[in-house]
Amino acid sequence: MTAALAVRGLVAGYDRSVVIDGLDLEVGDGATAVVIGPNGHGKTTLLRAVSGLIKPFRGEVELAGERIDGLAAEAIARKGIVHVMQGDGLFVEMTVEENLLMGAFPGGSWRGRRAALKRVYSELPAVEERKAHKARTLSGGERRLVGLGRGMMRPGRLLLIDEPSLGLAPVAIDAVYAVIRRLRSEASSAVVLIEENFTHVGGVADVVHILEAGRIVRSGPYAELAADRTVVETYLGSIAEVPS
Amino acid sequence: MTDAVAILANGVVYGSIYGLVAIGMTLIYGTLRILDMSQGSMVMVGGYVGWWALATHGVNAVLALVAAFVFTFALGTATELVSVQPLIARRNEVDFELVTFITTFAVAIFLTNVALQHFGPFQQNVPTIVSGNLKLYHGVSISYHELTMAVISVVLMIGLGLFLARTRWGLAVRAVAQDLDAARSLAVPVTRLYPLTMGLASALAGVGGVFLGALYFASPTAGDLPLLFALIVVVLGGLGSLTGTLYAAYLVGMTQSFCEVEIGTTWTLPILYGAILAILVFRPYGLKGSPSEARL
Amino acid sequence: MTGTFGAVTPGRWAMIAVAVALAAVFPLVYHDPYYMTIIVTGEIVLILNISWNFVLGMAGVWNFGQLAIYALGAYSSGWLMLHHSGVPVPLAILFGGLFSGVVSVLLAFPTLRLFGIYTSLLTFSFAQVIQYVAVNNPHGLTGGSFGFPEVPGLFPDLGQTAYLRAYYWVCAGVIIASCFAVAWLRQSHLGIALRSVRDAPAYTAARGVNPRAARVAAFGLSGFLAGIAGGLYLSFEQSFTTSQMGLTPMSLDVTMLVIGGLGTVSGPLIGTALLTVIQTKLINYPGWQLTVLGATLLVIVVFVPGGIVGLFGRIDRRVRGWVAEDADEAEPAPG
Repeated sequence: MTAALAVRGLVAGYDRSVVIDGLDLEVGDGATAVVIGPNGHGKTTLLRAVSGLIKPFRGEVELAGERIDGLAAEAIARKGIVHVMQGDGLFVEMTVEENLLMGAFPGGSWRGRRAALKRVYSELPAVEERKAHKARTLSGGERRLVGLGRGMMRPGRLLLIDEPSLGLAPVAIDAVYAVIRRLRSEASSAVVLIEENFTHVGGVADVVHILEAGRIVRSGPYAELAADRTVVETYLGSIAEVPS
Repeated sequence: MTDAVAILANGVVYGSIYGLVAIGMTLIYGTLRILDMSQGSMVMVGGYVGWWALATHGVNAVLALVAAFVFTFALGTATELVSVQPLIARRNEVDFELVTFITTFAVAIFLTNVALQHFGPFQQNVPTIVSGNLKLYHGVSISYHELTMAVISVVLMIGLGLFLARTRWGLAVRAVAQDLDAARSLAVPVTRLYPLTMGLASALAGVGGVFLGALYFASPTAGDLPLLFALIVVVLGGLGSLTGTLYAAYLVGMTQSFCEVEIGTTWTLPILYGAILAILVFRPYGLKGSPSEARL
Repeated sequence: MTGTFGAVTPGRWAMIAVAVALAAVFPLVYHDPYYMTIIVTGEIVLILNISWNFVLGMAGVWNFGQLAIYALGAYSSGWLMLHHSGVPVPLAILFGGLFSGVVSVLLAFPTLRLFGIYTSLLTFSFAQVIQYVAVNNPHGLTGGSFGFPEVPGLFPDLGQTAYLRAYYWVCAGVIIASCFAVAWLRQSHLGIALRSVRDAPAYTAARGVNPRAARVAAFGLSGFLAGIAGGLYLSFEQSFTTSQMGLTPMSLDVTMLVIGGLGTVSGPLIGTALLTVIQTKLINYPGWQLTVLGATLLVIVVFVPGGIVGLFGRIDRRVRGWVAEDADEAEPAPG
């Protein structure tokens, strides 16, 4: 069986600077992979390269056995990658409902989009309450939920979630992770989730990968890596110790 | 009092037509970050289509407007494909706003001179859409043509508003204007959306051109003045702000109407451009614009 | 490329010297008054283009008011020539340059607060106002759309051939002087400041270069040269009409700059020469003149970024690259 996502020898970055440098990653069908690494080591760049927002310099990206590297972001999205971006990527001058509807942009009927909207609202009642408000008026936690809700508006094969805890208060983080856990148990799609540390990903991760200086340096089940003192201390104990 | 009524009536008429031409420029600037200098040429082309349909083929007015809409839509789409699309891939290497300002300007020069070649420098009379006058107040009247023009302009602007607020593609246009990367990651095909946006904006100007052609003439330079007015409107409104554009359009229309009645037609443009100078000096982003990137 | 002054090789100096010498003797062997008139007019346009290129290309400020500055130079020098006939004509032209320089500096201040497209709109608005005031002033100084009344000119006593020859040399002198001045300014403190403002404003501010002062200075110098061009045009043609600052000459000048290569020293020379030839060839097909112009502008901007100078630069580099590769075949070719 082919993996949901296979990344081989990926080299990517911005302008002339290489951020991701020869990265390999495989995510099984329906599995959730959590990529953990300090800031500035290429987590967001990895997701952007997979979803086509930046063109990889080299390497291969396969979605369910089909090469997608080099395709335009919109084409990759149509193939079934849903990217919940860092900073949410909401359309701030549009209402919450308009933002959600944009999540179902490709294909589908008006009726189908309405049904999807109803489903998201039943999952996220907090979002429904705010549906007529402009995205710019929402709190950080609400924005994150809308971003996730928008990702739930169409069936995807692979869900990319970029640092869902970033900049949120602990209560809001709990709410966001509650949604992610539910999403994971209900949807059949594979998930790549990115975080800076182990704190929140306990109940979510099937596999944890440690990303450092543009490569995956360790992989293993959550329990194993989180319990490994060397891992926690070497890579994540203190950001200042990490060579850059 | 008669002056006031005349100023108001004409101001609304002018404002509506400027709104129609300028709102397209706002739409294009909002989505593509391009100040489309070919928008005036679309008014000119619309005028010729109106002349061709109404004067030489005697078709009915609705058909003429539809013909102008379709033709300028196609032309606007083609303009985007030729003068903008090849540059989008190099967006980060070139000064995109300046370069597209120049390329759309080049298209405008080209279209103006093709018209000059084909039709000569003559002014062609375009028949009015409807004849007759509506008496308003003590000898002040506006023609039914102007009234129709104002009404259709407003209807088209409302239509554009509904398109942007309610339809899937309209939402996509706004989404692209606000966050390009997020829109692409939601599978919005920007390479198709851009030409459509520019086609739509051009089509609005083209319809405006049929009306303006009947009010003045169809001629190769018929688009110059509407372009200058539209530039004033979009700057005044703050580039990329649709509501700002509407306010500014009627403000400019009223100013023009006031100048014509009270001061003299020749002073309209210098006064308006003087106002622009002043506004840009004191409010560098126009009346309603803000330095933030995302709007529409 | 023609780049910095200090880096000009002896070979290139020799080429420049030969070119200047050829240009200097040209009117001694060529007399046709029709083409000489076109050539001198082309020279004046070139002076204007050099001045425009300085703010538009090198400083990267979207100034679309340059033709109004140019016209103001013509009008202010013409005012001296007409109403103060005691003033020698060269001084009047110099005065036109200074006047334009001052106006240009004043125009620079509001643009300091603006970005990109707003700068072009502000300067364009400025030009529109100047043009409308000039057009609507038929009985005053500008003569409205009928044009400026006849002025004495630099060489009122010369016959046709000598007259054209004298203007040719004067303009050539101004062109050569301004090219050297621009080349020198490019590598001067001001030029470096301008380029770094254009390419990385934040970086420049952080390094302590005062971007405002640099931009104002650029506007002043550019306006001065444009004003000189305006005064020369008025005195040579004995007339100046408001259409000189209309959209058509503006599109022509922009196209010349873009085709030659914005921001380079030799770009305006090449662009102006090339388009003057093309426009002259098409003079019997007036409709085609601007149709071709629009199409050329579009094609160059889209497909030949950097203009002809940029293209030759790339070809040059590529040829050097091949030569270098041939020289050390043992080494693997650089990726």
